[in-house]
Amino acid sequence: MSRLDRWFEGMTRQSARRVSRRNWLSRFGGVLVGGAALPLLPVARAAEKHTVGEDGVKGREGDPTRCEYWRHCAIDGFLCSCCGGSHTACPPGTEMSPVTWIGTCRNPADGKDYIISYNDCCGKTFCGRCLCNRNEGERPLYHWYRNNDINWCGGAKAQTYSCSTAVVVKTAKEAQPEK
Amino acid sequence: MRLIFATLGFLLVAPPAGADSYEEHDYVLNCSGCHRIDGTGSRTVPSLLAMPELNGKPGARKYWVRVPGAAQAPLSDARLAALMNWLVQRFTGGQPKPEYTAEEVGRLRSNPLRDPIAKRNEIRNSRPR
Repeated sequence: MSRLDRWFEGMTRQSARRVSRRNWLSRFGGVLVGGAALPLLPVARAAEKHTVGEDGVKGREGDPTRCEYWRHCAIDGFLCSCCGGSHTACPPGTEMSPVTWIGTCRNPADGKDYIISYNDCCGKTFCGRCLCNRNEGERPLYHWYRNNDINWCGGAKAQTYSCSTAVVVKTAKEAQPEK
Repeated sequence: MRLIFATLGFLLVAPPAGADSYEEHDYVLNCSGCHRIDGTGSRTVPSLLAMPELNGKPGARKYWVRVPGAAQAPLSDARLAALMNWLVQRFTGGQPKPEYTAEEVGRLRSNPLRDPIAKRNEIRNSRPR
Protein backbone atom coordinates (compact mmCIF):
# COMPACT_ATOMS: atom_id res chain seq x y z
CA MET A 1 0.00 0.00 0.00
CA SER A 2 2.81 2.36 0.87
CA ARG A 3 4.36 1.72 -2.55
CA LEU A 4 1.13 2.78 -4.20
CA ASP A 5 1.02 5.88 -1.98
CA ARG A 6 4.59 6.76 -2.91
CA TRP A 7 3.93 6.24 -6.60
CA PHE A 8 0.79 8.38 -6.51
CA GLU A 9 2.54 11.08 -4.53
CA GLY A 10 5.38 11.11 -7.07
CA MET A 11 2.97 11.37 -9.98
CA THR A 12 1.05 14.22 -8.33
CA ARG A 13 4.20 16.20 -7.51
CA GLN A 14 5.54 15.67 -11.02
CA SER A 15 2.34 16.89 -12.66
CA ALA A 16 2.17 19.87 -10.25
CA ARG A 17 5.70 20.87 -11.35
CA ARG A 18 5.04 20.46 -15.08
CA VAL A 19 1.42 21.50 -15.63
CA SER A 20 -0.04 24.80 -14.54
CA ARG A 21 -3.60 25.05 -13.24
CA ARG A 22 -4.56 27.32 -16.09
CA ASN A 23 -3.22 24.82 -18.59
CA TRP A 24 -5.37 22.06 -17.01
CA LEU A 25 -8.44 24.32 -16.89
CA SER A 26 -8.07 25.31 -20.55
CA ARG A 27 -7.76 21.69 -21.66
CA PHE A 28 -10.70 20.59 -19.55
CA GLY A 29 -12.80 23.45 -20.95
CA GLY A 30 -11.79 22.41 -24.48
CA VAL A 31 -13.00 18.88 -23.87
CA LEU A 32 -16.33 20.13 -22.48
CA VAL A 33 -17.01 22.52 -25.37
CA GLY A 34 -15.67 20.09 -27.98
CA GLY A 35 -17.86 17.27 -26.65
CA ALA A 36 -20.94 19.46 -26.78
CA ALA A 37 -20.13 20.60 -30.35
CA LEU A 38 -19.53 17.06 -31.69
CA PRO A 39 -23.16 16.43 -32.78
CA LEU A 40 -23.01 19.62 -34.89
CA LEU A 41 -20.38 18.07 -37.17
CA PRO A 42 -21.57 16.75 -40.57
CA VAL A 43 -20.27 13.27 -39.65
CA ALA A 44 -22.56 13.08 -36.64
CA ARG A 45 -25.55 14.30 -38.61
CA ALA A 46 -24.92 11.72 -41.36
CA ALA A 47 -24.91 8.96 -38.76
CA GLU A 48 -28.47 9.84 -37.78
CA LYS A 49 -29.66 8.27 -41.03
CA HIS A 50 -29.27 4.94 -39.29
CA THR A 51 -31.96 5.22 -36.69
CA VAL A 52 -32.29 2.76 -33.87
CA GLY A 53 -35.56 0.87 -33.53
CA GLU A 54 -37.59 0.45 -30.37
CA ASP A 55 -35.85 -2.83 -29.67
CA GLY A 56 -32.37 -1.33 -30.11
CA VAL A 57 -31.65 -2.69 -33.60
CA LYS A 58 -30.19 -0.28 -36.13
CA GLY A 59 -32.25 0.16 -39.25
CA ARG A 60 -32.18 2.30 -42.35
CA GLU A 61 -34.78 4.99 -42.05
CA GLY A 62 -37.76 2.90 -42.98
CA ASP A 63 -41.47 3.10 -42.56
CA PRO A 64 -42.83 0.41 -40.23
CA THR A 65 -46.28 1.11 -41.69
CA ARG A 66 -45.25 -0.24 -45.12
CA CYS A 67 -44.95 -3.83 -46.32
CA GLU A 68 -41.48 -3.04 -47.81
CA TYR A 69 -40.01 -2.33 -44.35
CA TRP A 70 -37.14 -4.81 -43.91
CA ARG A 71 -38.57 -6.59 -40.86
CA HIS A 72 -41.72 -7.45 -42.79
CA CYS A 73 -39.96 -9.77 -45.27
CA ALA A 74 -41.84 -12.84 -44.03
CA ILE A 75 -45.06 -11.30 -42.75
CA ASP A 76 -48.61 -12.30 -43.63
CA GLY A 77 -51.29 -10.12 -42.08
CA PHE A 78 -52.24 -6.61 -41.02
CA LEU A 79 -49.42 -4.42 -39.68
CA CYS A 80 -49.99 -3.46 -36.04
CA SER A 81 -48.14 -0.18 -36.84
CA CYS A 82 -51.24 0.83 -38.86
CA CYS A 83 -53.70 -0.40 -36.23
CA GLY A 84 -52.90 1.65 -33.14
CA GLY A 85 -49.88 -0.40 -32.06
CA SER A 86 -46.33 -0.56 -33.44
CA HIS A 87 -44.09 -3.17 -35.05
CA THR A 88 -43.14 -4.36 -31.55
CA ALA A 89 -46.31 -3.67 -29.53
CA CYS A 90 -49.97 -4.66 -29.77
CA PRO A 91 -52.78 -2.09 -30.10
CA PRO A 92 -54.65 -1.32 -26.86
CA GLY A 93 -57.27 -3.93 -26.03
CA THR A 94 -55.43 -6.81 -27.71
CA GLU A 95 -53.13 -9.47 -26.29
CA MET A 96 -49.89 -10.71 -27.88
CA SER A 97 -50.07 -14.42 -28.60
CA PRO A 98 -47.35 -16.31 -26.69
CA VAL A 99 -46.88 -18.77 -29.58
CA THR A 100 -45.78 -17.41 -32.91
CA TRP A 101 -44.20 -18.07 -36.27
CA ILE A 102 -40.57 -17.12 -36.65
CA GLY A 103 -38.51 -16.24 -39.73
CA THR A 104 -35.36 -14.36 -40.76
CA CYS A 105 -34.93 -11.05 -42.63
CA ARG A 106 -31.84 -9.23 -43.87
CA ASN A 107 -31.34 -5.73 -42.45
CA PRO A 108 -30.07 -3.47 -45.28
CA ALA A 109 -28.47 -1.11 -42.73
CA ASP A 110 -25.82 -3.63 -41.66
CA GLY A 111 -26.27 -6.53 -44.14
CA LYS A 112 -26.95 -8.99 -41.30
CA ASP A 113 -29.77 -11.50 -41.05
CA TYR A 114 -32.04 -11.22 -38.03
CA ILE A 115 -34.48 -13.69 -36.51
CA ILE A 116 -37.91 -12.05 -36.50
CA SER A 117 -40.84 -13.18 -34.39
CA TYR A 118 -44.21 -12.34 -36.01
CA ASN A 119 -46.35 -12.42 -32.88
CA ASP A 120 -50.03 -11.93 -33.60
CA CYS A 121 -52.16 -9.55 -31.55
CA CYS A 122 -55.44 -11.12 -30.57
CA GLY A 123 -58.77 -10.31 -28.94
CA LYS A 124 -60.31 -7.68 -31.23
CA THR A 125 -61.76 -8.07 -34.69
CA PHE A 126 -59.27 -7.97 -37.60
CA CYS A 127 -57.75 -4.55 -38.17
CA GLY A 128 -58.17 -4.42 -41.96
CA ARG A 129 -55.42 -1.84 -42.59
CA CYS A 130 -51.99 -2.36 -44.24
CA LEU A 131 -52.39 -5.96 -45.38
CA CYS A 132 -48.97 -7.41 -46.25
CA ASN A 133 -48.22 -10.86 -47.65
CA ARG A 134 -44.49 -11.30 -48.33
CA ASN A 135 -43.80 -14.78 -46.92
CA GLU A 136 -40.04 -14.99 -47.62
CA GLY A 137 -38.73 -18.26 -46.17
CA GLU A 138 -42.16 -19.47 -45.14
CA ARG A 139 -42.66 -23.24 -45.11
CA PRO A 140 -45.67 -25.19 -46.39
CA LEU A 141 -48.57 -25.87 -44.05
CA TYR A 142 -47.31 -29.38 -43.19
CA HIS A 143 -44.42 -27.61 -41.40
CA TRP A 144 -47.06 -25.77 -39.41
CA TYR A 145 -44.65 -24.22 -36.90
CA ARG A 146 -42.86 -22.46 -39.80
CA ASN A 147 -46.06 -21.43 -41.59
CA ASN A 148 -47.91 -18.14 -41.34
CA ASP A 149 -51.30 -19.14 -42.77
CA ILE A 150 -52.50 -20.67 -39.51
CA ASN A 151 -54.09 -18.59 -36.77
CA TRP A 152 -51.34 -18.17 -34.16
CA CYS A 153 -53.90 -16.63 -31.81
CA GLY A 154 -54.64 -20.28 -30.90
CA GLY A 155 -52.17 -19.82 -28.03
CA ALA A 156 -53.78 -16.62 -26.69
CA LYS A 157 -56.80 -16.22 -24.38
CA ALA A 158 -58.98 -14.94 -27.24
CA GLN A 159 -58.54 -16.48 -30.67
CA THR A 160 -59.72 -13.53 -32.78
CA TYR A 161 -56.84 -12.29 -34.98
CA SER A 162 -56.33 -8.53 -35.09
CA CYS A 163 -52.86 -7.73 -36.52
CA SER A 164 -49.18 -8.85 -36.59
CA THR A 165 -45.99 -7.45 -35.04
CA ALA A 166 -42.38 -8.02 -36.22
CA VAL A 167 -40.10 -8.28 -33.18
CA VAL A 168 -36.34 -8.83 -33.58
CA VAL A 169 -35.29 -11.81 -31.42
CA LYS A 170 -31.57 -12.14 -32.20
CA THR A 171 -29.12 -11.92 -35.05
CA ALA A 172 -29.34 -15.08 -37.15
CA LYS A 173 -26.47 -17.43 -37.94
CA GLU A 174 -27.77 -17.84 -41.49
CA ALA A 175 -30.73 -16.84 -43.64
CA GLN A 176 -33.60 -19.22 -44.28
CA PRO A 177 -33.74 -21.87 -45.60
CA GLU A 178 -31.13 -23.64 -43.45
CA LYS A 179 -28.39 -25.66 -45.12
CA MET B 1 -7.18 8.18 -22.55
CA ARG B 2 -6.35 4.89 -24.26
CA LEU B 3 -8.90 3.21 -22.01
CA ILE B 4 -11.59 5.70 -23.05
CA PHE B 5 -10.88 5.09 -26.75
CA ALA B 6 -10.94 1.33 -26.19
CA THR B 7 -14.29 1.58 -24.40
CA LEU B 8 -15.74 3.82 -27.14
CA GLY B 9 -14.46 1.44 -29.82
CA PHE B 10 -16.09 -1.52 -28.06
CA LEU B 11 -19.40 0.31 -27.72
CA LEU B 12 -19.40 1.20 -31.42
CA VAL B 13 -18.71 -2.33 -32.67
CA ALA B 14 -20.61 -4.27 -29.97
CA PRO B 15 -23.21 -6.37 -31.82
CA PRO B 16 -26.85 -6.66 -30.71
CA ALA B 17 -27.78 -9.89 -28.93
CA GLY B 18 -26.77 -12.63 -31.35
CA ALA B 19 -27.45 -16.33 -31.48
CA ASP B 20 -24.40 -17.86 -29.79
CA SER B 21 -24.36 -21.06 -31.80
CA TYR B 22 -26.11 -22.86 -34.64
CA GLU B 23 -27.88 -24.93 -31.99
CA GLU B 24 -29.36 -21.81 -30.40
CA HIS B 25 -30.22 -20.40 -33.83
CA ASP B 26 -31.99 -23.67 -34.74
CA TYR B 27 -33.80 -23.69 -31.39
CA VAL B 28 -35.10 -20.15 -31.83
CA LEU B 29 -36.20 -20.71 -35.42
CA ASN B 30 -37.63 -24.22 -35.15
CA CYS B 31 -38.73 -24.73 -31.53
CA SER B 32 -39.21 -21.42 -29.75
CA GLY B 33 -42.23 -20.32 -31.82
CA CYS B 34 -44.34 -22.85 -29.91
CA HIS B 35 -42.21 -23.83 -26.88
CA ARG B 36 -41.17 -20.15 -26.42
CA ILE B 37 -37.65 -18.82 -25.94
CA ASP B 38 -37.49 -19.90 -22.29
CA GLY B 39 -39.06 -23.31 -23.03
CA THR B 40 -42.13 -22.76 -20.85
CA GLY B 41 -44.59 -23.60 -23.65
CA SER B 42 -48.17 -22.40 -23.47
CA ARG B 43 -51.72 -23.55 -22.82
CA THR B 44 -51.55 -25.78 -25.91
CA VAL B 45 -47.82 -26.64 -26.07
CA PRO B 46 -45.89 -28.79 -23.53
CA SER B 47 -43.21 -27.12 -21.41
CA LEU B 48 -39.62 -28.19 -22.03
CA LEU B 49 -38.95 -27.45 -18.35
CA ALA B 50 -40.73 -30.77 -17.68
CA MET B 51 -38.02 -32.73 -19.53
CA PRO B 52 -36.29 -33.76 -16.25
CA GLU B 53 -39.47 -35.74 -15.38
CA LEU B 54 -38.65 -38.13 -18.23
CA ASN B 55 -34.85 -37.95 -18.03
CA GLY B 56 -33.28 -41.38 -17.43
CA LYS B 57 -36.54 -43.29 -17.91
CA PRO B 58 -36.68 -46.05 -20.53
CA GLY B 59 -37.69 -44.70 -23.93
CA ALA B 60 -37.17 -40.99 -23.08
CA ARG B 61 -34.08 -40.64 -25.28
CA LYS B 62 -35.89 -42.03 -28.33
CA TYR B 63 -39.11 -40.16 -27.51
CA TRP B 64 -37.46 -36.73 -27.57
CA VAL B 65 -36.34 -37.22 -31.19
CA ARG B 66 -39.57 -38.92 -32.33
CA VAL B 67 -41.93 -36.10 -31.22
CA PRO B 68 -43.37 -34.33 -34.29
CA GLY B 69 -41.59 -31.01 -33.70
CA ALA B 70 -38.15 -32.65 -33.65
CA ALA B 71 -38.68 -35.48 -36.16
CA GLN B 72 -40.19 -33.19 -38.79
CA ALA B 73 -37.94 -30.14 -38.28
CA PRO B 74 -36.50 -28.93 -41.62
CA LEU B 75 -32.95 -29.67 -40.42
CA SER B 76 -30.34 -32.22 -41.53
CA ASP B 77 -29.73 -35.24 -39.26
CA ALA B 78 -26.40 -33.72 -38.15
CA ARG B 79 -27.94 -30.34 -37.27
CA LEU B 80 -30.84 -32.03 -35.43
CA ALA B 81 -28.41 -34.24 -33.47
CA ALA B 82 -26.41 -31.17 -32.40
CA LEU B 83 -29.65 -29.36 -31.49
CA MET B 84 -30.88 -32.32 -29.41
CA ASN B 85 -27.57 -32.50 -27.48
CA TRP B 86 -27.80 -28.75 -26.79
CA LEU B 87 -31.49 -28.96 -25.83
CA VAL B 88 -31.10 -31.90 -23.43
CA GLN B 89 -28.15 -30.15 -21.77
CA ARG B 90 -30.11 -26.91 -21.42
CA PHE B 91 -33.35 -28.35 -20.04
CA THR B 92 -32.15 -31.33 -17.99
CA GLY B 93 -28.83 -29.87 -16.84
CA GLY B 94 -26.71 -32.72 -18.28
CA GLN B 95 -25.48 -33.96 -21.65
CA PRO B 96 -27.24 -37.05 -23.03
CA LYS B 97 -25.06 -40.13 -22.54
CA PRO B 98 -23.90 -41.01 -25.09
CA GLU B 99 -24.48 -37.90 -27.18
CA TYR B 100 -26.91 -38.16 -30.09
CA THR B 101 -25.29 -38.84 -33.45
CA ALA B 102 -26.59 -37.99 -36.92
CA GLU B 103 -27.01 -41.70 -37.65
CA GLU B 104 -29.12 -42.34 -34.53
CA VAL B 105 -31.27 -39.24 -35.07
CA GLY B 106 -31.83 -40.18 -38.73
CA ARG B 107 -33.02 -43.64 -37.69
CA LEU B 108 -35.33 -42.34 -34.93
CA ARG B 109 -36.94 -39.51 -36.90
CA SER B 110 -37.86 -41.89 -39.73
CA ASN B 111 -40.37 -43.38 -37.28
CA PRO B 112 -42.25 -40.37 -35.82
CA LEU B 113 -44.77 -40.83 -32.99
CA ARG B 114 -48.46 -41.07 -33.84
CA ASP B 115 -49.66 -40.23 -30.33
CA PRO B 116 -46.92 -38.27 -28.53
CA ILE B 117 -49.03 -37.43 -25.45
CA ALA B 118 -49.93 -41.09 -24.77
CA LYS B 119 -46.27 -42.09 -25.21
CA ARG B 120 -45.18 -39.31 -22.87
CA ASN B 121 -47.55 -40.46 -20.13
CA GLU B 122 -46.39 -44.06 -20.61
CA ILE B 123 -42.73 -43.03 -20.13
CA ARG B 124 -43.51 -40.77 -17.19
CA ASN B 125 -45.31 -43.57 -15.34
CA SER B 126 -42.52 -46.10 -15.92
CA ARG B 127 -39.71 -46.69 -13.40
CA PRO B 128 -36.23 -45.26 -14.05
CA ARG B 129 -33.60 -47.70 -15.23
